[in-house]
Amino acid sequence: MPDDKTIHLKIKRQDQPDGKSYWEEFELPRKPRANVISCLMDIQMHPITREGKEVTPVVWECNCLEEVCGACTMVINGKVRQACTALVDALPQPIVLEPMSKFPLVRDLHVDRSRMFENLKKVKAWIHIDGTYDIGEGPVIPEKQRAKAYLLSECMTCGCCLEACPQFAKDNDFMGASTFSQVRLFNMHPTGAMEQEERLDAIMGEGGIADCGNAQVCVEVCPKKIPLTESIAEIGRETTLQLLKNLFLK
Amino acid sequence: MSSISKGQVHFFLLKMHSLTGLIPIGLFLTFHLLINSLRTVGVLPYQWSIDLINNLPFLIWIEVLFIYIPLLFHSFMGFYITKVAKTNALRYRYPRNWMYVLQRLTGAIVFVFLVYHLGTTVAPKLWFGHHLFEAAPFLIDVMNQEFATWTGRIIYLIGILSATFHFANGLWGFCMSWGIIIGPRAQRNASIVFILFGGALTVLGLATVLEFSLHPVDVEPSFKGAP
Ligand code: HEM
Ligand code: SF4
Ligand code: SF4
Ligand code: FES
Repeated sequence: MPDDKTIHLKIKRQDQPDGKSYWEEFELPRKPRANVISCLMDIQMHPITREGKEVTPVVWECNCLEEVCGACTMVINGKVRQACTALVDALPQPIVLEPMSKFPLVRDLHVDRSRMFENLKKVKAWIHIDGTYDIGEGPVIPEKQRAKAYLLSECMTCGCCLEACPQFAKDNDFMGASTFSQVRLFNMHPTGAMEQEERLDAIMGEGGIADCGNAQVCVEVCPKKIPLTESIAEIGRETTLQLLKNLFLK
Repeated sequence: MSSISKGQVHFFLLKMHSLTGLIPIGLFLTFHLLINSLRTVGVLPYQWSIDLINNLPFLIWIEVLFIYIPLLFHSFMGFYITKVAKTNALRYRYPRNWMYVLQRLTGAIVFVFLVYHLGTTVAPKLWFGHHLFEAAPFLIDVMNQEFATWTGRIIYLIGILSATFHFANGLWGFCMSWGIIIGPRAQRNASIVFILFGGALTVLGLATVLEFSLHPVDVEPSFKGAP
């Protein structure tokens, strides 16, 4: 058993995308205010397992180290979250690290989240500011609306909401809460609203908003506390109106 | 008009699954439990309600078009939706996630229950030709037998509880997916309203079970030999 001088880590490893996974355990000297990333860095410098076997260093991704980039997302003690804000002092040991299970694995704790970016492209999660002609300045946004948009804009495409969603799987096309929330964000912008119909059409198909089963795990696990189920319901309303429009007005 | 894509069909079928859960199936469930609870008010009102239903013009067409086809469609889609779910409520233990699992589980239970329920009521009624005013004495006799044993009572308790939960929680899901409720407060208030509604439906169902179990009665047809 680890005492208060050591940190005990159990890490799920895999050498290749299509390889077999295996577990390895590490015991590190405890440092004050350590987080999971600092432990992984210690292992990188000294990749020796608990049994004393020298192994390849564990692979993971990280970038900002302050929970704004989403790169270090992994499953820690069974729950998906960011490794950089997973403080060792607040975690029961052994600390179990696994890669996210719903994205293609690259190596060890490193997964490929490009599906999220592809979905953002499908829904045109941006605002056109130029074209073949100058579309001019956008209107002023009321402060309340700006505050709401800011909340939604904090999404860091980390994938927590997708990993924890019972409707999201490797073998389906579900776009997931973060995509729907971004559709809401760009539809509520006065200039972005010009592409509202294209965005809604993109999520009114296979893997779109109708595939959400309202389990609401997404909103529980989102580290940025984005009101995802409010976004889902709002997008539910926008797509309902769009459906009526498509059926009866066109 | 542009052609319709596979994705649009998928979306439309899911929306129709959601809609059929409320109209007509949910409406039918509500009226079914309400009318049956007339049994607790008196035998005559109950018998007359069965007489009325069984003397409706085009009854079989109303049943097929507004009950059986929507129910089969909703069930078929429901099993498909259940099949693709990757439930994880043991890992992510949040109330709504349990409801998500229960919504699928109770749907399946209701399906099995309905096969049994139709098998002991509507199927023999049609098979043995108990039409018009002959239906009420026959059906009331069937229900007496159903509620004579604890096995029968428990089957109905499970069936009714599953159906009322599934419908009440389904109403909440319906309001989410059609965008009728949006913010967190609206979501919470709606769940309170639907818990009360589901509770009321359950009470209606359980009172009927209790009445049949405690006071079985035999009735004669309201009109002998009527056409
Ligand atoms: C008493 C009969 C039934 C009633 C009144 C009923 C009603 C409803 C309602 C109102 C919904 C909500 C729709 C929505 O989420 O938008 C729903 C959802 C659902 N129903 Fe039923 N239903 C019945 C029978 C069944 C059966 C037999 C199944 C077969 C498995 C089933 C499976 C489902 C599933 C899986 C959902 C969840 C859909 C989702 O959340 O995405 N239901 N039902
Ligand atoms: S509400 Fe549930 S099903 Fe819908 S996106 Fe969130 S976790 Fe997934
Ligand atoms: S919505 Fe939240 S959980 Fe989902 S990707 Fe964005 S920040 Fe991560
Ligand atoms: S390193 Fe950017 S969120 Fe953890």
